[in-house]
Amino acid sequence: MVVIGKKKYQSGEGAQFMSRKAAMKKLQLSLKQFRKLCILKGIYPREPRNRKRAQQGHTGIKTLYHKKDIQFLMHEPIIWKLREYKIFGKKVSKAKALRDFGALRRYLQNHPTLKLDHIVKERYPTFIDALRDLDDCLTLCFLFSTFPSMKYVPRDQTILCRRLTVEFIHAVIAAKALRKIFVSIKGYYYQADIRGQTVTWIVSHHFCFEPQSKLEVDFRIMSTFVEFYVTMLGFVNFRLYHSLNLHYPPKFTNAGTSDKTLVDEEAYVSERISALNTPLASLNATTESLEEEVDIDNFSNETDPSQLEAAKLEMTKIKKLKTLFKGLKFFINREVPREPLVFALRSFGGEVSWDKLLFVGATFDENDESITHHIVDRPSMDKQFISRYYVQPQWVFDSVNARELLPVEKYLMGCILPPHLSPFTDSQRDQTYIPPEERVLMDSEYRLKDAENDSEEASEEEQSIAGDKDNKESDEDVDEISDPEEDLDEVEQIDEVNAEKDQKRLEKKKQMKVKAGQVTKEDPWEKEKREKQEYRLREKMIKKKHRNLYKSMMKGREERAKEIWLLRKKRRIHDETEKEKRKEARKLKKSIATD
Amino acid sequence: MVKVEAKKRTVSKKTKRSWRKHIDIKDVDKFLENKRLDERLGTPFSERLDSELFVIDNERNNEPVGTLTTKKERRLALKQKEPRCFAILKPHTAVPDPIAKRNRVKTPEERKNPITRLKEAKRKLNGQLKLKEKIAERNKAIAESKRKSRFKRGDFTTDIWEDKPVTQSELNSEWLISDTIRHTLANTGQKRKRVPEILYKKPSILPAVEAPHPGTSYNPSYNDHQELLIAIAEKEKKLIKEEEHLKRVTTKMFTKVTTEKKTENWINELSEGLPVKSNKNSEDSNVEDTDPVVKSVNPPVKNAKKTLVQRRKQKEQKQLALKQAKEKLEKKKVADVYKLRLLEKQLTSKELKAKKLREKRMKLKQRKMTEPKTLNKRKFEAPEPDFQMANELAGSLRASAPVGNLLKDRFKSLQQRNILAPSALILKRNKLKVKRFIKPDHKIPLQ
Repeated sequence: MVVIGKKKYQSGEGAQFMSRKAAMKKLQLSLKQFRKLCILKGIYPREPRNRKRAQQGHTGIKTLYHKKDIQFLMHEPIIWKLREYKIFGKKVSKAKALRDFGALRRYLQNHPTLKLDHIVKERYPTFIDALRDLDDCLTLCFLFSTFPSMKYVPRDQTILCRRLTVEFIHAVIAAKALRKIFVSIKGYYYQADIRGQTVTWIVSHHFCFEPQSKLEVDFRIMSTFVEFYVTMLGFVNFRLYHSLNLHYPPKFTNAGTSDKTLVDEEAYVSERISALNTPLASLNATTESLEEEVDIDNFSNETDPSQLEAAKLEMTKIKKLKTLFKGLKFFINREVPREPLVFALRSFGGEVSWDKLLFVGATFDENDESITHHIVDRPSMDKQFISRYYVQPQWVFDSVNARELLPVEKYLMGCILPPHLSPFTDSQRDQTYIPPEERVLMDSEYRLKDAENDSEEASEEEQSIAGDKDNKESDEDVDEISDPEEDLDEVEQIDEVNAEKDQKRLEKKKQMKVKAGQVTKEDPWEKEKREKQEYRLREKMIKKKHRNLYKSMMKGREERAKEIWLLRKKRRIHDETEKEKRKEARKLKKSIATD
Repeated sequence: MVKVEAKKRTVSKKTKRSWRKHIDIKDVDKFLENKRLDERLGTPFSERLDSELFVIDNERNNEPVGTLTTKKERRLALKQKEPRCFAILKPHTAVPDPIAKRNRVKTPEERKNPITRLKEAKRKLNGQLKLKEKIAERNKAIAESKRKSRFKRGDFTTDIWEDKPVTQSELNSEWLISDTIRHTLANTGQKRKRVPEILYKKPSILPAVEAPHPGTSYNPSYNDHQELLIAIAEKEKKLIKEEEHLKRVTTKMFTKVTTEKKTENWINELSEGLPVKSNKNSEDSNVEDTDPVVKSVNPPVKNAKKTLVQRRKQKEQKQLALKQAKEKLEKKKVADVYKLRLLEKQLTSKELKAKKLREKRMKLKQRKMTEPKTLNKRKFEAPEPDFQMANELAGSLRASAPVGNLLKDRFKSLQQRNILAPSALILKRNKLKVKRFIKPDHKIPLQ
């Protein structure tokens, strides 16, 4: 009997997925090769909606791949290269076993190499796509650049990682793209803004290499990731350098012909580059890379005016940040980690140097009188100059995060440092109560009120309460500014018309009379009322779909504001009672003294 | 001592074989051996003069044994020494080669007439090459250029994101259908490959580098640090609670038994049903056994057939029931017109329920998006968060100590973002076990 109808698992989920074993069989690859191919091509295992159906009735959990993904892998020319690798390995091991060293050398010289350019292009069709996925790439490359040569981590990969990461740092310095630095116990968190994409990466502290436990991490897999990321970072660097009008591979402007260059120029240049202390040669010296002055477009009807204002403020802050350390000269003492500090200082325009014997690339001596800041991380020093500040490294990081030069008093040598706050949590601080002590840490303009100057305290309090109102006022200011511009335009137009009809006007002029105009006085109360009404109307226009969300949002906002108000009030009452107590104590003292 | 002579046995030496077997040629052999040795070594030492054997060392020792002090000298001496591999080619006896003249096959180059050789040299000097030589030279050049232009890792000389026209302009006309374009492109070597959409989607919404908790700062503020510690402690408490629960539910559920009791139990269990049991049990079983009628546990089933009448009646009953049910349904339909309000109420309640369920599902979906998917048998284990206690915090960069493992953190992050399937590294592969033994005939007896 022929069974008529569909067979099971020939369509639907049962046919869409295949197990890893089936995929390997289809591609005729070993597990190692399959893993490598998947990582390089960016194909990951999938989770089906119905596992039992996807596994064609088998229970248990298998690693499943989509059938289309495997078909996509089948087209990959790299598969042939992987097979070549296998053959190469067999030949080499045979030659080794037979002690045929001539053949072994010949094989090793002609080893196959994986070329991954097309895969980078395929996975990241545009440069922006590549930038978006740079976090992982940078973190791994920075990490692997510190590794010694190990099993599965060849030495040339480590060296390449080191080279590319240094090049990337140079690009960030040249573009002035660094935004935030956070020193955590894990390592340094950096955040840069490259072409509008925020790129975050971690660089471990400079400790010596810790041997890794075999059981924890599969080095072969991680090394494969790095193999791909190295290629990607290379192309990203190439593009970045060219967009910054710089030579790639990097070159110097003033590579003097000293004795060292003659010995080994390549080593000399690479050493200097890794010092991070010299500006790189530009591709075309005649055309300087222009700093684009981008103005934010004024589409007032599209975006919220407060948002626009915030964006403008942000822009000015960033502009200020880019020249934060300009004109300052820093000297880094021996015990301070050199690389992160040079990176931070140089990317905001500072001049840096260090002890000549510490690392190559020092530009000026410790005895230079023009040094403004000496960065030290020790409690005291024997020889000190009066002309400079001796600050701890945290000052640099905190200044960058605050986007302005912080007062050095709290960071001087031997001082107990104020806490190093994370710059990554600013957005969460919205609408939360911040006690005045903490607020002082965050913005230096806000000053902590001491018990002595009461008058200041009152005024500050008022300011903080009236913070919201200020915002509104500034909005109005913007409107007023735009008005006279329009008037000017009108005047010009009228002028043109007048030029044609000059005669007529002269005739009419005699008949005309100038009357005293009346100033139209706009009632502020009326205006406010109108605005309120308009706001209500706009609220009504919210779609039904979003209404509930809007309501809950507004309610939450109100509640949070209330909470802040309550906490502030509590604080105020507390402060007042404290003050009273102190006053009484003082009075008592006085009375005792007079007695 | 009286010399006892062995009794001589007379053996036949008739045939050649028996002659060979029984003839004593020791003395002849010995003589010949001696002679050969003499030939090899020359005249015996006893017969030689002292002057032949020894040499009076008149010269000053120019190179004592220990002169090769430096490594370089030793290396040089080693290099100039005759390779040991050639020792086998040298004669190891003093016996001269019986064949005085040996012919060697000359190489074609050697066999050539000196005149032609001269001619060829001249031709090559003039640059007139044979086709074979030309081809060889060309091949050499190709190989050299290939070796030089081979791809080297770390060379980035092109911008891969430069805009290049994907198709030629002539292919962009409206007259060509997509199949034609594909066909033409395939034959020009530019295959248009369809890339799966999933390649551009990230497998998880989690960021690659998560924003650090402010409490992980090397010099955190008190509140942030406390917050971090509290969060970690909460997690730990939860784990401890879970562990305790598991312990209570599994190990603690069973009472402890002493070893004697355990063995007793074990003996009891294993001797169940054996005749060594106590008397009481055996008596019981005897009582049961005395029953004369043997009953089967599953008596045979009787195949009782229904009669035709029975079948017909059954069928009629069934049809009637069906008809009644249908009638009832029809009746209900008519009655439903008067229950519209109730129905509406039911419908709204149903819809409300569905809506609630949908919302619940949406929430679940949202939560699942941040959690790692099950890609493997092994479950994802979240990494332990890095932190330092207050007494461990140094407060300065110089004195801070390493915490955590960044590589492990990255590895876990990849697993959490569904890029890698969580797996355990297998260090020892299960190889096929081979039983090794020594064949009996290879065994060496001890005695």
